[in-house]
Amino acid sequence: MVETDLLDSQLAAALNRCATGDRTALRVIYDAEAGRMIGVAMRILKRRDLAEEAAHDAFIRIWRGARGFDASRGTARSWIFAIVRNRALTILRAEGRFESDDGEERLEPDFLTAVDRLPENSALRRCLEALDIKHRSAVVYSYVFGLSHGELAGKMSVPLGTAKSWTRRGLLSLQECMG
Amino acid sequence: MTQQERETLIADFVLGTLDGAALIEAERLMLTDAAFARDVEQWRVRLADFDRTAEVMTPPESLWSTIERDIARPVASSTSPGLFAGLWNSLPAWRAIGLAAAATAVALTVGLGFAMREAQRTPQMIAILVDGDKAGAIVHVFNDGRATLLPLADMPIPADRSLQVWTLPSRERGPVSVGLMEQARTLALSLKDVPAPGANQLFEITIEPKGGSPTGRPTGPILFKGLTAPTI
Repeated sequence: MVETDLLDSQLAAALNRCATGDRTALRVIYDAEAGRMIGVAMRILKRRDLAEEAAHDAFIRIWRGARGFDASRGTARSWIFAIVRNRALTILRAEGRFESDDGEERLEPDFLTAVDRLPENSALRRCLEALDIKHRSAVVYSYVFGLSHGELAGKMSVPLGTAKSWTRRGLLSLQECMG
Repeated sequence: MTQQERETLIADFVLGTLDGAALIEAERLMLTDAAFARDVEQWRVRLADFDRTAEVMTPPESLWSTIERDIARPVASSTSPGLFAGLWNSLPAWRAIGLAAAATAVALTVGLGFAMREAQRTPQMIAILVDGDKAGAIVHVFNDGRATLLPLADMPIPADRSLQVWTLPSRERGPVSVGLMEQARTLALSLKDVPAPGANQLFEITIEPKGGSPTGRPTGPILFKGLTAPTI
């Protein structure tokens, strides 16, 4: 599959066409973003079949909810990826109950890659690098890998309250830095 | 809620770490509080670069055909419910939309005076169909069982599409078509096949293939939706 890198305005236009019932517009979004959407879901779910299910569900939601996209509030891409992340997190929390039965090994989150792959000129990267490592890790584990506060506390071997407070402080500093 | 609690709720909602009552509260605010929704979107934009660092994974051939099949499928029986089905089943979401609709109803009362007089009688039940904070149509249900839909907004659609009006008499029965039109206009709704609408009954308008949904269930995007409320 060739990833055609669409401008956000092109994605927004495609969403608007979806809202009028134009299926070719959904295909435009699919061609541009489906591969990356599976990748985002994969980091959270660690299982290819579930990641594809999350992407599938996301496209159904994008189709039915396209009218809810408001370009004055955010970007088309962030809107689309919020949907696939939400689907992946919902599946993760639901699957978690059966995790002990599924003997499949869960991969360790590839923490460094997530930060290293950020573009050099990314404000997010610059501001993350300015954070205390504890706070940075808390944000990355939560957002990129979908860890709950409880899982984060386990991973970082700290009490739940500490994990929550690190996440919040990380986000607060990011907000101050990025504006 | 203090400002700090609100900011924490927004951050946790964006990260996806909320559950239970806090998650329901955040979803309610997304629908009813424009400033909350705007702040959430700003956070999503701030963190969006993370999404670009994910591996691109080639979808299997079958993925697109499954999506194409499922967007044409009647929503109520879909195994992967979309946003639409999620909303059917989400009481908090409907409560929130009901609140928004009630606020809109107050704002509209003056403008609707004419339409009300034209109807020459007081409806027993009304529903304001909204899209976010925009009102699109109003449904009047009268004592004699008749019902009308009055559009309040333009609803542009391609020439090969129709607008279809639905109601949900019960979750078991699922959505039932009560009207079809080629463009937004005042429409007499056909309620003869459904029980007299009660309070908090859903009405909505979707875009469907010309002549109406081939499946008898909504398949297209929802333009406006709202719940009935009894008139005083």
